[in-house]
Amino acid sequence: MASALLLAGSTAFGAGFQINVQGLRQIAMGGTGTGWMWDASSIFYNPGGLARMKGIQAYGSVQFLLPSTQYVETPTGSYSARTQSQVFTPFNLYVGGRLRENGKLAIGLGVYTPFGSGIKWDDNWEGRYSIQSISLQSIFFQPTISYKLGDIVSLGGGFIYATGNLKMRKALPVQDVNGKDGSAELKGNANGIGLNLGIHIKPSESLQIGISYRSQVNMTVKSGTASFVVPNSLASNFPNTNFRAELPLPQVLSVGIGIRPIPQLTLTAEANWVGWNAYDTLRFTYEKTTPALQNTKAPRNYKNTVAVRFGANYKVTDGFALMAGAAYDPSPVVNGYVSPDLPDADRVVLSAGFSWKPVSKLTILGAIEFGNSVKREAQYIPDNFNGTYQTKAVIPCIGLTYDFR
Amino acid sequence: MILDNFFEQTKIFTTMKKSLVFISGLAILASCKPNLHSNTPTANGLNFSNYVAVGNSLTAGYADGSLYRSGQQNSYPVMLSGQFSLFGATNFKVPFMPGEYGYPSPKLVLGYTTDCKGVTSLSPVPYSGVADTAGSNTNISAQGPFNNFGIPGIRAVDYLSAGYAVIASSLGAPYAARIFSDPYARPLDELKRNNPTFFTLWLGSNDVLGYATSGGEGSPIPNHPNNISSFANFRDGWDSTFAVLLRNGAKGVVMNIPDVTSIPFFTTVPANGLPLDTSSAAQLNAAYAGSGMTFHTGNNFFVIQDVSSPIGRRQIKSDELILLTLPQDSVKCAGWGTLKPIPQKYILTTQEIQNIVTATNAFNQHIADMAVAKNIPLVDMNAYLKTISSGIMFNGVNFNTKFVTGGAFSLDGVHLTPRGYALVANQILQTINTYYKSTIPFIDVNKYVGIRFPM
Repeated sequence: MASALLLAGSTAFGAGFQINVQGLRQIAMGGTGTGWMWDASSIFYNPGGLARMKGIQAYGSVQFLLPSTQYVETPTGSYSARTQSQVFTPFNLYVGGRLRENGKLAIGLGVYTPFGSGIKWDDNWEGRYSIQSISLQSIFFQPTISYKLGDIVSLGGGFIYATGNLKMRKALPVQDVNGKDGSAELKGNANGIGLNLGIHIKPSESLQIGISYRSQVNMTVKSGTASFVVPNSLASNFPNTNFRAELPLPQVLSVGIGIRPIPQLTLTAEANWVGWNAYDTLRFTYEKTTPALQNTKAPRNYKNTVAVRFGANYKVTDGFALMAGAAYDPSPVVNGYVSPDLPDADRVVLSAGFSWKPVSKLTILGAIEFGNSVKREAQYIPDNFNGTYQTKAVIPCIGLTYDFR
Repeated sequence: MILDNFFEQTKIFTTMKKSLVFISGLAILASCKPNLHSNTPTANGLNFSNYVAVGNSLTAGYADGSLYRSGQQNSYPVMLSGQFSLFGATNFKVPFMPGEYGYPSPKLVLGYTTDCKGVTSLSPVPYSGVADTAGSNTNISAQGPFNNFGIPGIRAVDYLSAGYAVIASSLGAPYAARIFSDPYARPLDELKRNNPTFFTLWLGSNDVLGYATSGGEGSPIPNHPNNISSFANFRDGWDSTFAVLLRNGAKGVVMNIPDVTSIPFFTTVPANGLPLDTSSAAQLNAAYAGSGMTFHTGNNFFVIQDVSSPIGRRQIKSDELILLTLPQDSVKCAGWGTLKPIPQKYILTTQEIQNIVTATNAFNQHIADMAVAKNIPLVDMNAYLKTISSGIMFNGVNFNTKFVTGGAFSLDGVHLTPRGYALVANQILQTINTYYKSTIPFIDVNKYVGIRFPM
């Protein structure tokens, strides 16, 4: 009974779920953070730079991510839909730095959320059989160690333990006597491990170079729960069951440089190579299967990307600085695989921010990122769901740092 | 302490205020939501003020073995008229039935039946709700002329047949009698009461379908619906109808005839649907020794009646078709298909299928030629319904020709579900848009219902 392809197709986690908001000054500077070391957020951006921290710093920030996506059917434009408003709050906590002011060894712990977000369409929208809502949350815990080899080079590395959860809902194309759709809800906890390694080079006071590598983290949902609401006459075809899935969060290799042509001004540039091609296929394996409920293998065919970022920091006074930046972050999603659970497109990011030091050990940071995806006319071949998408996101952020030295 | 510092740094404060203004300005800009514009639909000069749909049951919205009100509301002409109304008022008149029961016989719904072996399963059963058919026999021609001129059962040849409404009623299809102003008029003359500015013409399926659904037995009575129409008669009826629609210079589209042998009515019961255990196979091999028929453990080809065979029976061939109406209990408990051959009226033989295909191809060739001759675009429904049989995906829903689960065909295995009709409507819209260079929006197929499953 019922088509075996009911659950085929959708469910993506990808570029839209990667949120490059792990440090406020870096956000404000177009997302650059690998080259120039500013604060304890080096634990994320370049663990090699942590040994540059003269003492222990505590760092906390929160971002308010407000995405909005619009869909228009193609080719005739007969239908349009917008996602429901949602606020996501990625956050970062870092504690770390050199243990002794003139020592060489630094340690730290980072707790941050590099992948998260989600999308929520109206339950009755045209794409409901592909997706109604999806959310992915992840928290990375990263104990880190960093060592200064000399005045010029320092190294660092951190072990990542990632934990998170995923939840998605979609309508099933089986209808009851009143014409009401069935529904499927899949949720589960996932975890994975990885590494974050970095090298930081500081040839002079006006030049810094960094290279960092964050490994792929395979988030495994070992025993998620799939539950179905279908007419009773089909209940045996859709047994509530456990499922297993694996979501690869991609490896990222970053190279960054920062220069300080005049004491007040720091300019940064960076490139991130992201290994999205790990996201080739998404498999869902169910503990119980029926002719209607089959394991699924959805092709994603993501391609690797290179994002480029630029930033500037201008020190207005000793205690106050302004930042601005821009980035171009191409989509890993190839044409034909742009699905409404992740209508990804090339993004242009503009950002700005400030830092203010009201007292000697405390710094308040504020930033805003304005992410604008280009309009994308796209298809999702597995579901034959086609349309034009555009996503805009605004991310206001606030945070503070406290130096213990 | 902090406050003191704060006020001491007034210069910074001013700068900060400025930057806050700058940042909040950015925020306002950014909070602007994406604003994609859809193109304004255009009709490119097409006049939909009097759209007339001519056809048979598929045009009337017939489904689940009957005609009922919501089926009519979900007919493709009603869907199309909804899209056409974007370009101005249309008064699309439909000869609606009073209720949902089905007319003249109750519609089929999914329900539970218990077979001769006591096994209960989900299958189509006649609707057992309250009959809301009062008034269905009343002639409503005064409300006409009707824009949905889809008459279940009507053939192209019937358009030139005086007294069609009376004859059809006597054969169990009282639909023309409901809407014709004169029961003895030719359907062509009734159609002339309409003056379309735009039309769809999907006529001819019943010129072969009656033959097919009666198992290819035919009838000795000339012009009986169980016979395939002669090409000359088909041509005369179809051409006359087309000419009436074109007579005022109306634009429109014509559809060709689907190959009926690919619909669930003929593809659901498999030719090799006879499961045998070892001892039953042995018994049959013994019973049919010397006949050339062989049986083995597993799935076997049914034994069917064939008067041309020396023993009056043979095993069905893999490419021959069994009708959905085959009584399953007779197969399960009365020996049909094994020791008793399945009667020929439940079978389409290779030759009968060939007759259907030959006629369909000839009729379709004529429709295509006429479309070209009159500069009217053709919607190749034959090709489109074949793509459905191999499965098509639409917005995450897989449609195919599997009975019940395929989603496109209703419970009678011949007619479509509302979603199936919406797929048809979009094919028509695509042809209109391509040929007439209009931009009429498509229909959201999944807004409509497919098969309804019981609680």
